[in-house]
Amino acid sequence: MKPESPERSVISRLATGASLAAACAALALPAATASAQSGPIRIGVPTAMQLQVGRDTQDGIKMAIEDINAKGGVLGRKLEMVVADETENPETGISAIKKLTADEKVDVLIGGYTSGVTLAQLPHISAAKTIYLNVGSASPATNAKVKTDYDNYKYIFRVGPLNAALQARQMTGFISTFVKGELGLSKIAIVGENAKWVQDLVPLLKKGATEAGADVRAVEFFDAQTSDFSPLFSKVKDSGAQYMVVVLSHASSDIFAKQWHDSRFPMAYGGIDVKSMDGDFCDRIGGKAVGELAANFAVRAPLTPKTVPFFDEFKKRTNRQPVYTAFGANDAVYIYAEAVTRAKTTNPEAVIKELEKTSYVGIPGTIEFDENHDVKPGSATYKGPALLFAQWRDGCKREVIVPKTMRTADFVYPSWIKQ
Amino acid sequence: MFAKPVDLAGAAVFVALMAALPLLFPSNYLIGVLTVSVLYGIWAVTWDFMSGLTGRENFGHALFIGVGAYTAGFMNTTFGLNGWWSLPASMVVAIVFALLIGVPTLRLKGPYFALAMLSGSVIMQRLMLIFWEQTGGEEGLNGLTPLIRSQIGFYYFALAALAGITALLLALSRSHFGLILRAIRGDEATCQAAGINVTFYKIASLAISGAFAGAGGAMYAHYQLQVSPQLFAVVTSITIITMVYVGGMASIYGPVGGAILLVLLTELLRNFGEWRLMIYSCALILILFFLPGGLVAPAWRRLRAALAERRTARSVPASRERSA
Amino acid sequence: MLEILIVGAVSSAIYAMLAVGFTLIFGVARVLNLAHGSFYALGAYGTYVLTSHLKLPLLAAALLSVAIVAAFGVLIERVFIRPMRKSQLAVLMITLAVALVVEQALFLTFGSEYRNVPAFIDAKFTIGGVNIAGARLLALGVGVVVIGALWLFIQRTRYGSAILAISQDPQAAQYMGIPSDRIFSVVMALSAGLAALAGILAGPFLTVQPTMWLLPIVKAFAIVVVGGLGSIPGSILAALMLGYAETIVGYTVSTSWTEIVSVLATLLMLMLRPAGIFGRRAAF
Repeated sequence: MKPESPERSVISRLATGASLAAACAALALPAATASAQSGPIRIGVPTAMQLQVGRDTQDGIKMAIEDINAKGGVLGRKLEMVVADETENPETGISAIKKLTADEKVDVLIGGYTSGVTLAQLPHISAAKTIYLNVGSASPATNAKVKTDYDNYKYIFRVGPLNAALQARQMTGFISTFVKGELGLSKIAIVGENAKWVQDLVPLLKKGATEAGADVRAVEFFDAQTSDFSPLFSKVKDSGAQYMVVVLSHASSDIFAKQWHDSRFPMAYGGIDVKSMDGDFCDRIGGKAVGELAANFAVRAPLTPKTVPFFDEFKKRTNRQPVYTAFGANDAVYIYAEAVTRAKTTNPEAVIKELEKTSYVGIPGTIEFDENHDVKPGSATYKGPALLFAQWRDGCKREVIVPKTMRTADFVYPSWIKQ
Repeated sequence: MFAKPVDLAGAAVFVALMAALPLLFPSNYLIGVLTVSVLYGIWAVTWDFMSGLTGRENFGHALFIGVGAYTAGFMNTTFGLNGWWSLPASMVVAIVFALLIGVPTLRLKGPYFALAMLSGSVIMQRLMLIFWEQTGGEEGLNGLTPLIRSQIGFYYFALAALAGITALLLALSRSHFGLILRAIRGDEATCQAAGINVTFYKIASLAISGAFAGAGGAMYAHYQLQVSPQLFAVVTSITIITMVYVGGMASIYGPVGGAILLVLLTELLRNFGEWRLMIYSCALILILFFLPGGLVAPAWRRLRAALAERRTARSVPASRERSA
Repeated sequence: MLEILIVGAVSSAIYAMLAVGFTLIFGVARVLNLAHGSFYALGAYGTYVLTSHLKLPLLAAALLSVAIVAAFGVLIERVFIRPMRKSQLAVLMITLAVALVVEQALFLTFGSEYRNVPAFIDAKFTIGGVNIAGARLLALGVGVVVIGALWLFIQRTRYGSAILAISQDPQAAQYMGIPSDRIFSVVMALSAGLAALAGILAGPFLTVQPTMWLLPIVKAFAIVVVGGLGSIPGSILAALMLGYAETIVGYTVSTSWTEIVSVLATLLMLMLRPAGIFGRRAAF
């Protein structure tokens, strides 16, 4: 090995130092110089970029931004989107927040998916004093500190989905009025994945169902990574249940449906199945989800004047059906824009006051926040977002079954179940 | 003593550079990235001390990290203790785990030991998920209090810890203790025949490695302000091994460079959006393929040799002048 | 009871197909190929692409997929593994990086959602009152046949003897004129093809998404070590043990405990009998 000449060693040392410094400069110098009250308003989007929920979050936001910019922007300023990948790992999530707030200096954060990541990000969002509009995670814990530690956590809002406790209540209604009430099946099994929000939700569900007169024969949890559900199905069958209520989010819903179909499992199933909200869920497993009843936050039906146009526009642009994060993301941009317009500034303190007064007719329903900055659910008197239960039918079409007021078709048992 | 003046100078320049960077480019984002890279540096150095020297590749280093982090998490959230108690406590707990898993498995070699350690970390990850009521499941423990409120203050603390731990482990590695560890890698049977208590040395090195890794884990917990089972994951252990590899195995100081390089790379590639991890993996293949001895340690050795050359070149003409 | 027997057998068959290939390449080349899981993934995705985009009939797609993955395996061996063979850790690291690249390529091409690999047999069978999907029985049947064929190949043919010779004593084999490089390629092709086949058979009822390579490789690693590195009967036996252990725990306790039971069993095995069941290569 030829020894380096003295000049080259100095140069190589300088070169190493320079490249390290350049790397740090690339990280440290803000990516765009946006002054406080002029220039574009920047929306930071921390989301899981490689997943469908992440893609739809971005597309939902893009649609809203283009619409608002075409109408002149907000306070005369255009809206701009900056995306950072938070994956499903808290460490990447925290650095995504830091990148967006400290480096990109965004005015607001819209995004979120995995509750664990959102929870990890909260103290860092609070330290950055930036408003965060959650569109994807359901754990009630993300908003718990808003009331108890208002000064630090007032920045956190949830535009969607309904938090897990509220979903449990809606599920209880589903079980009592539909499964027991209409189908006449009182023996149920509750099956959920081993995620914390499910583990928190299921006891509430069991209690509510039992109080409504259902007989909960089995409660089974399984690992989100499970790829073989035969033991689970076996236990549920042996328990004597007549209907299987599921709570699935990160789990392999595709395999669950396939194996349910392939083994001609002798009971129908339905409940919360986040992956089943995907428009192509049924198609991509060869139609084997036909018969499943899955909760959706919105389907292409006139829940509000905005619902059908949104679905059509989204389909036109992306050739996909939107998943639930798209609704929240799209609504969140308009909600933020309106709050900023009313506050006449992007200053977080003022905007928060206006956000709290939000009453926006969105895609799944009217969006208003409770004292925990959490989206309020719909009720008999209030047209807020509510869970709709839609069934996959032949040809992979979806029909709304519950609530009865929105029913588009009657429930049909899977072809191999004799009723 | 144990280090030539040029090594000390190099270390001083490095520390000064790392300390100066956040002052030159003030940004919480940069400080965050540097802090995380420094913590990974601590983990990489501790891995190299045990596995690099003894040749027993530990595929479950995440075990000590996770154990230290969760100790800090429990002490801070469940028991409400001040964060500074977590550091010694996490070291103690990590040592206990090192003994628990080390004693039965350290007689294994190569892939067998690797798999045993990997199993240990996977078991701990599973246990954290199974006992979700106590550990928070995959959401983990949240709401830890920071050790030092100021971002840059904590960064300097972490940097000092990294420097201290690296110096200590370097000194150990160049001492009699380290010599025996390297001898064990060479030929364990001969060491045993020579009357050395090989088991003691292996367990001791694992315990030291684990203790400081656990302390790093506690620091991480009090910085990220959360603890999750992902810390125990196989991915974590493998990331650290990759950092040591890129830095230069068995050099102790090389892994520091490897850690900083790889963490910086992951962040710098954010501009590539969806392609980030793909480019990162390809870069990794290139590094592993063309630089099998690593990047940082060999570069330093070449630099050091070049500096020594320059010194000899300078001194020769003077003597020639005198003799002429 | 019968259900446990059958489902356990199916799991074991899939694990065995993965483990046998893994242990084969280790026995012959002393190489721990972490990209082995990628072959499993590529087999499944290859069949998906050939059936859904190129509209090939399923059998043709499956066979073509196996062939392509086998060729890919040989490519990996030539380009990445052969230059690094001096250091086991180097091979480990670079095959891991290759596995990551493959995973990312799949993410970018197909997205993160599950893809549908059609099953050869869609019907459901009832054996002794137990409902079992046809695809699972097929996986079991094909697995047994293929591993049996591989065993015969190694025991009865010249190539097989060459493989055995190299795994017992590489230097002696070289002196005897056995072309070790060519044998490595053959073994790599067999190993990759076997993994791809496992992916194609398991795809219809298990997961097909870009990260599907990681869990099988960790399990294969454990099985191979427990069975004894380089021993095919050992891998088969260990695969059976793991497959049944997981199934039994899943049915009797809960699926949350299956992972931890198998890992714990692996750890205990390593502590009590480190060389594995039939391990010839010393563990210490």
